Amino acid sequence: MDPSSIPLFNLAERRLAWTNQRQEVLAQNIANVNTPHWQAKDVRPFAAALDNATGVTLARTDAGHLAGTLDTGAQSLLTPAVGVHAPDGNAVSLDEQLTKVADTATQQQIATTLYAKYLSMFSLALGYGQ
Amino acid sequence: MDLDKAMTISARGMDVETTRLRVIAENLANQDSTGSTPGADAYRRKTITFENSMDQTLGASTVRVKQIGTDASEQQLRFDPSNPAANKDGYVKQPNVNSFVEVMDMKEAERGYNANLSVMQATRDMLTRTIQLLK
Repeated sequence: MDPSSIPLFNLAERRLAWTNQRQEVLAQNIANVNTPHWQAKDVRPFAAALDNATGVTLARTDAGHLAGTLDTGAQSLLTPAVGVHAPDGNAVSLDEQLTKVADTATQQQIATTLYAKYLSMFSLALGYGQ
Repeated sequence: MDLDKAMTISARGMDVETTRLRVIAENLANQDSTGSTPGADAYRRKTITFENSMDQTLGASTVRVKQIGTDASEQQLRFDPSNPAANKDGYVKQPNVNSFVEVMDMKEAERGYNANLSVMQATRDMLTRTIQLLK
């Protein structure tokens, strides 16, 4: 049995992939906090990324077909600029970005904790517990 | 891996803020550096600008120093006939460094550095938690 075919593991894996990508995008925003004309980016919300991933995809009917390079469901996108622009055109709000980082870290913690918990239930069922 | 990329991006962010702090240190250290020949220019304040650049090896866009330039604003004159840099009327050109501006810039650089450091810590925690799944 492939563990990734179990819905909860599959979901947790996707959640982890999503938090990883989001962390990268947020790190970019914060690294560019003093770069002129930099607009803050964010990834699509997880629910939207999930919908997309389960939607219609191109079928590979021949081994020679290339896998698609587009639409992994979580590419970065520009967020509408909220708040004020600095005089140099930079639109990164440090507080907002750091809140998002904390939020991403919490979500990642939830996913890993659930994953570990579920895995320990398997161990228990297999008699490895205690 | 994305978390590694995030770490590298944050490290580059800290790198440019460090360079900025170095420029500020140069400016503050030279706030009284006048010229050595009569009528010579005093120290000119240095400026630094950042830009976003695509790192092909990393596969992500990072930040780098665009240019370290000089502030072309006018240098004020001060009457000091005994100074070796005094012109024929006895006036010496003063560096165009304003210590208040530099201190404010220093605070901003510090804030940027701290923010990058926080992201790095958060990323490291995430990485540790993922690795702990193997245990």
